Amino acid sequence: MAANLHPETNGTVSDDFTIKAGLAQMLKGGVIMDVTTAAEARIAEEAGAVAVMALERIPSDIRKMGGVARMSNPEMIKEIQAAVTIPVMAKARIGHVVECQILEALGVDYVDESEVLTPADDQYHVQKSDFKIPFVCGCRNLGEALRRIKEGAAMIRTKGEAGTGDIVEAVKHIRTVNADIARAKAALATDGDLGIAALAREIGCDAALLKQTAELGRLPVVNFAAGGVATPADAALMMHLGCDGVFVGSGIFKDAETPEHAAKRARAIVKATAHYTDKQALIEASIEHGVAMKGISNAGLKPEEKMAGRGW
Amino acid sequence: MIKHITVGVLALQGGVVEHLNLLRKAASQLQSSSPKSHDGVEFIFTEVRTTPQLAQCDALIIPGGESTTMAIVARRLGLLDPLREFVKVQHKPVWGTCAGLVMLAEQASATKQGGQELVGGLDVRVLRNRYGTQIQSFVAGLDLGFLGEGEQPFRAVFIRAPVVEDVITPGPSQTEGQGKAPVEVLGVYKGEGQHNSSEQGKGDIVAVRQGNVFGTSFHPELTGDVRIHVWWLKQVLEVVRHGELVVNGA
Repeated sequence: MAANLHPETNGTVSDDFTIKAGLAQMLKGGVIMDVTTAAEARIAEEAGAVAVMALERIPSDIRKMGGVARMSNPEMIKEIQAAVTIPVMAKARIGHVVECQILEALGVDYVDESEVLTPADDQYHVQKSDFKIPFVCGCRNLGEALRRIKEGAAMIRTKGEAGTGDIVEAVKHIRTVNADIARAKAALATDGDLGIAALAREIGCDAALLKQTAELGRLPVVNFAAGGVATPADAALMMHLGCDGVFVGSGIFKDAETPEHAAKRARAIVKATAHYTDKQALIEASIEHGVAMKGISNAGLKPEEKMAGRGW
Repeated sequence: MIKHITVGVLALQGGVVEHLNLLRKAASQLQSSSPKSHDGVEFIFTEVRTTPQLAQCDALIIPGGESTTMAIVARRLGLLDPLREFVKVQHKPVWGTCAGLVMLAEQASATKQGGQELVGGLDVRVLRNRYGTQIQSFVAGLDLGFLGEGEQPFRAVFIRAPVVEDVITPGPSQTEGQGKAPVEVLGVYKGEGQHNSSEQGKGDIVAVRQGNVFGTSFHPELTGDVRIHVWWLKQVLEVVRHGELVVNGA
């Protein structure tokens, strides 16, 4: 996992992008937690979260309630901003430029253009390089990741299947990204620029970014796990598979018996992420974590119930 | 004769790899530019997560990241006291960038509710998130005299950065304050317009040193500019050889 992480344009990196990608680099090895109130944000901060994601409903509840899921109420985001000193992220719908502008004006630290919300545009994502605020976006494979980076995303995460507590999709997505990167390296080694150009056409991405990825042997920005992380072992598994850090959506607060139970879960997942190779730490974290969210099996979801397919 | 110098990067969370990469680049530059001063000494760069790993180190970098997270994780690992020992008793060279600067300060303001634990070592009070949220993060050219005469400005990357808001006097209870080196201001950022500090025109203190403890508000590890890492490794080399800092070698 060597190399500095900066997508290059014509061989140089803009200061603007250095700042955007740099914040994500400072979050590495950490856990970003979904929170719906100032009190939950404080629990996350005390547990050692590196950032919080402010949203009105955790993904499992979005799933249950149905309807259209949109950007959260700015008032609730402001309360969370006032409650903590760690970075605050918030979600905008895919392609919803104005929700992103509102979040930028609110001064959140990162925008997640997220498939967890109902997409606003069925063709385009937001042109993220137009914004001063940095963006994180989900992906299922390398082509999707590099399309988002080309649009200006400064951080990537797996999509997984949010709100299920089932890790299988997140594992599939990071494995696919890793396999795609291995292909890109092989293409570059065997056929040079021609090999890269052919693969770029096949997976639908920018050839220069693909070449850079092949040279680095990893995505050119920070890549977190998301979508289905429910236990300390899940978090450690995603780190083991090469993720730089972990988003936990529903896993902290869903089905938690008390705020103290949620706090224990939060602490346990922070510990497991920071020490994912230390078996003793993982035992302790798993005990501290207690009962996990009940969850729903990804295999039992109908295609229209899956969020990961949103995004183009 | 010293053969190896082990430099650790605290790897609880944050920009660890970035420092290791730049340290390696700095070491090879040092080797090629002044092989004599090197005298066959080999640098070993390593990640530090445990007390035994820390004990192996002759010098340490505390990287950028979230200082609240680092403090909480360090506390749970029982690393806070060994770190304090490393910095304040053994006086081994330490450099903190951004969150690392916060960790090395004796006091911090604008902390989370209930405050946060610090390692200390620098008699300063830092102000966290001095410039606001991410949208106020910026890159600015800094003139850093310690890099030498006529050097180009350093493109300093400030991300939700802290600054040193005050140099504090150690209380009488801190007997270790006796004979302690003074706090030297090594870098000041004079803001453009909206960043004017309350002490008009003086600017914000963004690089300080006190004895063997060095801190910067900004992230040299997010640039390809190796100059500060080279400078710091030279300091480390001196300290390991002679047991003390050559004051104002620049």
